[in-house]
Amino acid sequence: MKDFLFIYRMNYAGIQERTPEQMQATMQRWMDWMGHMAAKDQLIDRGNRLHPSGKVVGTDGIITDGPYTEIKESIGGYSLVRAASCEEAAELAKGCPVLTMGGNVEVREINAM
Amino acid sequence: MLIFRHQDGSKLASPEQMQTWMKQTMDWIGGIAAQNKFSGGNGLPFDDAKVVHHGNLVTDGPFGEIKETIGGYIIVKAGSVEEAVAFAKDSPVLQGDGNTVEVRRIARGDGLH
Repeated sequence: MKDFLFIYRMNYAGIQERTPEQMQATMQRWMDWMGHMAAKDQLIDRGNRLHPSGKVVGTDGIITDGPYTEIKESIGGYSLVRAASCEEAAELAKGCPVLTMGGNVEVREINAM
Repeated sequence: MLIFRHQDGSKLASPEQMQTWMKQTMDWIGGIAAQNKFSGGNGLPFDDAKVVHHGNLVTDGPFGEIKETIGGYIIVKAGSVEEAVAFAKDSPVLQGDGNTVEVRRIARGDGLH
C-alpha cells in the first residue's frame, strides 16, 4: 500500500451563505465519506481545512497577501489516505463532497520527508 | 501549513542537485524542529498524480488553471502568520526562480469542513 495526499481545491468566492442546517448537512457528508474510508482502514489522517487568507513568499523575498484564494482553485484542505495505487486512490476521491461544490481533488503520492 | 509551489514541475533535477536540495531542506526543517515548531510534512513527487473532478472525471496532472505544481508541504507551529512567513523565507524551495511558498493557517473546529 502507498500513502497519498488528497488536496481539496475549491472556489472560495463561489461559496454561498449557508444556513446552519445546510452546514450541518455538508459536515455530515464529509464525515460519512471519511468514515467510509476509515472503515476500510484507508484513512491515515483526516487532515485539516485551511483558512481562506494567508501569504505567499516569493523567490525575490516579496510577500503578498491572499494566496490563490482569488482563483477558482484555491486549496481548501487536505487529507492523507492509503491505497494500492494512484488509480485506487482516485476511485476513493470520487466520493468526496467537494466535487459537488464545484471543487476537485488532487491526488498525489507521498514521499515521506 | 507551508505549501511549496514549483514554477515548473516538469524540470528534472540531477541526482546531485536532488541530494543538495534534500540536505538543505533537512537543515531548514531541522532549524524549525530545534525550536519545537515542526509538526510534520511530506514531499510530493511530480509524477503519478491525478485530479478527480465532478462527474467521475479523472485527469492526470498538471492541476487546473494554475501552472505551479505543489512539491510538498510542512506544518509548523507559529504565534502569528508573520512568524510562519519568517520560516517560509528560509525555505530552499525559494532558490528556484518563480517558486513560491504559500502560507496558510489551519482551521479547526469551525464547522465548515
